[in-house]
Amino acid sequence: MNPLRKKNQFRADNVEENVIFFFWNNKKYFANKGDSIAAGLLANNQHVIGRSFKYHRPRGIMSAGVEEAGALVTIGNGAYTEANVRATTTELTQGLSVYSQNAWPSVKFDIGSILNVLGRFFAAGFYYKMFMGIPPFEWGRGTKIWMFFEHFIRKAAGLGQSSRLPDPDCYEHMHTHTDVLVIGTGPAGLQAAISAAKEGKDVLIVEQDYAIGGSYLSQPDTVELETQIEVLKQLQVTILTRTTAFGLYDDKTVGLVQVMPAKEYKTSSKKPRQQFNICRAEKIILATGAIERSYAFINNDLPGIMSVSSARTYLNRYNLLLSKNIVISTNNDSAYETAIELENAGATITILDAREQIGNKLLQQIAGLRINLYLGSGVVKAEKGLNTSSIGKIKLVEFANNKWRYAGNLYCDCLLISAGWSPVIHLASHQGYPINWNEENACFLSSGDNKSIFLIGSARGIWTKAGCIQSAKEIFQYNSRKKHKPSTVIGGWETPLAPIYEICLHNIKGKAFVDPQHDVTSSDIRLAYQEGFISVEHMKRYTTLGMATDQGKMGNIIGLALMAEALNCSISEVGVTRFRPPYTSISLGALAGRNRQSHFKPIRRTPFNNFSIQNRGVMINAGLWHRPWYYPMESESLEAAYIREATVTRRSLGICDVSSLGKIIIQGPDSTEFINRVYTNPFAKLPVGKARYGIMLRDDGLVFDDGTTWRLSENCYLMTTTTDNASSVMARLEELLQVRWPDLSVQVTSVTDQWGGCALAGPNSRNLLTKIIDDPSEISNESLPFMGIKQVLMQNVPCYVARISFSGELGYEIYIPSDYAQSMMEFIWENGQKFECCLYGLEALGTMRIEKGHLTNAEIDGRVTIQDIGLSKMASSNKDYIGKVLKNREKLTDSDRPQLVGIFPKDKNKTFKAGALLNEAGYSNGHPLGWVTSVTFSPALGHWIALGFITGGLAYVKDKNIVLSDELRSNFLDVEIVSPQMYDPEGLRLHG
Amino acid sequence: MIQIECPFCGKRDQSEFSYGREGQITFPALNADENSWYDAVFLRKNTYGRQIETWQHTHGCRSWLLVERDTVTHKIFSVKLAHTDWQKQIKKTT
Repeated sequence: MNPLRKKNQFRADNVEENVIFFFWNNKKYFANKGDSIAAGLLANNQHVIGRSFKYHRPRGIMSAGVEEAGALVTIGNGAYTEANVRATTTELTQGLSVYSQNAWPSVKFDIGSILNVLGRFFAAGFYYKMFMGIPPFEWGRGTKIWMFFEHFIRKAAGLGQSSRLPDPDCYEHMHTHTDVLVIGTGPAGLQAAISAAKEGKDVLIVEQDYAIGGSYLSQPDTVELETQIEVLKQLQVTILTRTTAFGLYDDKTVGLVQVMPAKEYKTSSKKPRQQFNICRAEKIILATGAIERSYAFINNDLPGIMSVSSARTYLNRYNLLLSKNIVISTNNDSAYETAIELENAGATITILDAREQIGNKLLQQIAGLRINLYLGSGVVKAEKGLNTSSIGKIKLVEFANNKWRYAGNLYCDCLLISAGWSPVIHLASHQGYPINWNEENACFLSSGDNKSIFLIGSARGIWTKAGCIQSAKEIFQYNSRKKHKPSTVIGGWETPLAPIYEICLHNIKGKAFVDPQHDVTSSDIRLAYQEGFISVEHMKRYTTLGMATDQGKMGNIIGLALMAEALNCSISEVGVTRFRPPYTSISLGALAGRNRQSHFKPIRRTPFNNFSIQNRGVMINAGLWHRPWYYPMESESLEAAYIREATVTRRSLGICDVSSLGKIIIQGPDSTEFINRVYTNPFAKLPVGKARYGIMLRDDGLVFDDGTTWRLSENCYLMTTTTDNASSVMARLEELLQVRWPDLSVQVTSVTDQWGGCALAGPNSRNLLTKIIDDPSEISNESLPFMGIKQVLMQNVPCYVARISFSGELGYEIYIPSDYAQSMMEFIWENGQKFECCLYGLEALGTMRIEKGHLTNAEIDGRVTIQDIGLSKMASSNKDYIGKVLKNREKLTDSDRPQLVGIFPKDKNKTFKAGALLNEAGYSNGHPLGWVTSVTFSPALGHWIALGFITGGLAYVKDKNIVLSDELRSNFLDVEIVSPQMYDPEGLRLHG
Repeated sequence: MIQIECPFCGKRDQSEFSYGREGQITFPALNADENSWYDAVFLRKNTYGRQIETWQHTHGCRSWLLVERDTVTHKIFSVKLAHTDWQKQIKKTT
């Protein structure tokens, strides 16, 4: 095959301006502006474009469109590398680098092609059988050499490789609303857009190609196309090219991705490379066209074999005549138009028509042209030419006595195939609209809902241009409220097609491909049948038919037909798998848009954030929050820092940022009743100015969250929640008030961000407080007892001071309006210097709470009951509350449930980690007795300690030898199970 | 992607809302027997077709809504506030 450029048809005066260069495997070539990569390669006589997925067979260009299964290439360099790009739909730009894929050392000589010789081992199910070690591969199971082999095989199969560098481009999201969305700019699509716009509708029309026109572009003259585009522009219709409608979703939503041309986004980094567009339309018109099918015959994947329509596209759109000597194998009328145009361009044509008769009109059209017509003929095998990887010879068959028989050879360097057309019904299928097999035209058809989603043109199985345009006009000729009943006739050929899906003769052997992109052959389909994978869903997964990047656009129907033949039933009985979005692959970057890194997960900073950073705080992510982790002095390590912080706090004074706790204001006449129903312990008699620690259960009786709730006035409470559950507790309270108990007059408001929380802990905390608040008498032991809260003035700013302790020391929490938080913290810290004082972070906070056996989400993990965490005394029996009934379910009250305990290593020098399992000595296997949830070094006790759960709790394991085992780190040690209150169990320090 | 017509905020994308649960569940009194609580918490109709469900306009007005939706087609038939007499409640509170 040696394609020729026809005379240059550019209207521009300067032809040189229309020539561009590009690189193919690092070699420079020239092409015309507007060429696709495939056209540019063909014009330079490059036919082997890549190597196939499994067998590493040489592959060339098979089409001129989105269905391409052979010519996949990698474009760009470095971080801009884009793999598995269809050469047929990607525009060549000046200086573009294009590379072949899946071949080593080169696409012309590829070592991996040895796999082709070993082909019979690589049939369907190969990967399953091989990797699972089932017959015939059972002998290799588990051996080392097999593992090595597996590694090689996994590496050998594949397509292009993407860059491992971070994506340097930016992507954008947008939302579009329109009256009418038309998908496809062929004759039907353009007409639909015009008709809609003439009715005064707001119309958006999208085209996946970089040029408008669809099948118009493949026609010899473009006058009609130009007229239609002119009308569209006058009607101010929005036209988007390079825009794929990849999915149809609920509520008439279409996912669009617009790809910018390579040059445009690189010259200005501010321009997005791709735009993800969520489009909502009142009417969606699918003018998505149809894809020409091939059929299975031996070596039907050789370079030089293409669809008939693509030869027409290369001829008329790209001025490329593929060869002087072309063979066309067809079973329908559509190929003749192309044959005539190719002949006019100077080629000699041989048509092999599978039908035994064709209409007179066609015969008249080809009379007198250099076209040889063989009726009742087809191809059974293609063979390589001499000194080339491309096609050189074909073996013909003729139809006689109801079967195919061998009828000689024919030399040619270009074979075009048309075995019928498959309408692009993918989008309708995404939404589950029924898909029916049309026997006469041998294709699946769908009609949308004919109310807001319509299929028109060849997407509805209409093969003539006039019919396509008529089907577009029709939609707008009816009252849009009524259901549309299309009148245009499906089909439109003079002689119906003769369905062929495969031509094979028992004495001619070789591989006939059904899905060339995944190297699925016709014998793979038969193997699937033999092995019982006859359901279409099973066949797909077993053979991987249609699971490649083209999603089986060319091969699926052949596969279905072969299965139908094996089962001796019709294709409609075999059925079809539902198409899933996306129609063509889209980049993850487009889906992510600008939601990357901190735009994906915004950072929440506490009001003390700057203060913490100024004071050398190292921050840690806790959910979305940035919280101070530890405050190292000079080159102090995390461990040294938290031990120092906890020690200083217990000895004198520590200050900590606790702003991330959830804070909810609960107001209204029924707020006491509401809180009483939400918490397990009674709140009804809580005096104003006092607080209680409360436990909240879920409906199913398990523990949901814990926190302290302060009664600020008769009908106003301040509830605190754990940092993790702040938003879910809020949503839960709102649900209870709005859905379940609408009779309660209560308002809840989240004030987490409005107040900065600062904890003072340690024996000197009250001494510091006296120095910083305006009237120190308000916080004496008597006027602010344990669990009391008071509004005080600090530097004339109203703050709340609550006497509460998470560390087990005498402690206070000061709640400061966020706007004053930074300056107040500086003021507090300045006064703290009069004592031995430190800032402590999350790590030291954790250490002190573990020493005291206080809980966090490591323990309250959604699986524990109130008894499990040792707080059954907090479950009131005198009132009703959420979870009260179901917490008493049989298994939840068992005494042998895992219960909260403290853990000491017997050898006090030993360390261990959270997640380790606990077992009785001698029982290291099977279900463990318990596990470790939180671990720390305890400065107060001088060794490592932990909290965890163990079956039956302290009482059950009292006299047993318990072993802690961390299999992953090979750490095994004897431990002592103790009460979770490991430090100061009497709570003497708490009251100062 | 469905859109939900919030009575306060108008038609908004589903991503602004969070699904709650089946809306037909009537939770028993807090002191009801174990069986009725068991039914309310664990038994679901798993309707094929139209059902009432609760959604919260989490990234909006935070209202809890009763949404009548077809679980097969995702078509929404009606949306109303779960709290039926919120106006009365506000009067009572203020």
